[in-house]
Amino acid sequence: MKRLLLALFASMSLLHAQEASPTPSPSATPDVTDTAAEAAARSAALELAGAFSNDGYKIRDGFYFGTLETGKSALVEVNLFAGNEYWFCAAVNDPGRKLAITVYDEKGAPVEQQGYEDGPKTAAGVVAGTSGKYFVKVTLAEGAKSSFCLIYCYK
Amino acid sequence: MRPGLRFGCAAAAFLAAAPLVAAPESALKPEEMKTVIVLDELSMPTPGEFFAAINKVERPNWSQLGRAAGPLATTNRAQASLNLGTRVADGFIAVEAQDGQQVKNIGKDIIDLAKGLGVSQSILGRGNSIGDFAENNDWSALKEELDATENEVKQQMADQKDDELVALVTIGAWLRGVQAASAVVALNYKPETAKLLRQPAIVETLVARVDALPDRLKKNELVGKVHDGLVEIQTDVAPTAPPSADTVKAIQKTTSQLIDAISGPAAATPTPAK
Repeated sequence: MKRLLLALFASMSLLHAQEASPTPSPSATPDVTDTAAEAAARSAALELAGAFSNDGYKIRDGFYFGTLETGKSALVEVNLFAGNEYWFCAAVNDPGRKLAITVYDEKGAPVEQQGYEDGPKTAAGVVAGTSGKYFVKVTLAEGAKSSFCLIYCYK
Repeated sequence: MRPGLRFGCAAAAFLAAAPLVAAPESALKPEEMKTVIVLDELSMPTPGEFFAAINKVERPNWSQLGRAAGPLATTNRAQASLNLGTRVADGFIAVEAQDGQQVKNIGKDIIDLAKGLGVSQSILGRGNSIGDFAENNDWSALKEELDATENEVKQQMADQKDDELVALVTIGAWLRGVQAASAVVALNYKPETAKLLRQPAIVETLVARVDALPDRLKKNELVGKVHDGLVEIQTDVAPTAPPSADTVKAIQKTTSQLIDAISGPAAATPTPAK
């Protein structure tokens, strides 16, 4: 729990440094409301990943914040190691929205995965068959434009 | 759960209480793949992930892979950044070896190197956390804390307009991780362990990061050596098959030379005994 709080605290300090989102805000200055929503999304994603940490998964400190329109997706590159198990967790801060996560191999083919969905939180679990580049696609399946957070854990 | 997937008991219980979602069958379109986002803190694996994969096919004697710290003081900021990365990877090695004192020493080195790079005092809290977790033998928490410390240092470096040095921290950590892993594989060659050393996408990204550095940094002798070494490794891992035993030795030699150049000969890495 201490680590979760530390991570959450760190996320607050990192919010201003997020990478460009697929649909960046037109506002040049950070919107306080957006920032709060992003922090809440990170908190929700960490809460979901926390369920896996009870099973020995290590939660990566890094995360991705983005903003998505309905039906739109963000694609993030990750590098996985053969034999390791991974859970990719994403969340938005609104019960009325739903995300979908799909993991693809380096050629863009979907990989066998386990899915979990709980309202605005969703996760995809994969066991990497080969080491290398993979793609994690997060789609806003339902609900209006929203900020989301993607993190992952491994063991 | 689908055949072929295996997850732990707690995760399985967690999933049993939740609605499951089927994976789609359609592949990514080429135009989608052009929009991919590459983030240092998410796209680059930690040494801990690398070592977790090695532990599944091999039981290395991690304590033999540790090393003494070389001199930390330098006015060469590129070298300090690279060295900071190597010490983060050393921290993961010490965690695998479950050597609490070594973890504490490395935590102190990381903080000293960070302070030398002008990173603010707030990083001291991370050093204290590393010490506390090491004191309590909380190895799992230490892996997350080392990852978080590296990210926090990088973030503060970026905040103080040292973005270009951030890439060097990443490269230092990766090189030390590969050096340790190649030593493990060279000692007891197995194709399934050797294939973990084949990371062409990562090397390609790291070479591109060095190529993107400003000219004044690229002219730095050490950065030039690192670039050339990465290109050499890129050639070594290019074939689709796992690296051969000779290739593994070549990777070990290249990474060892680079780590010696970064950390100084006083920090020479011992070769593990059988």
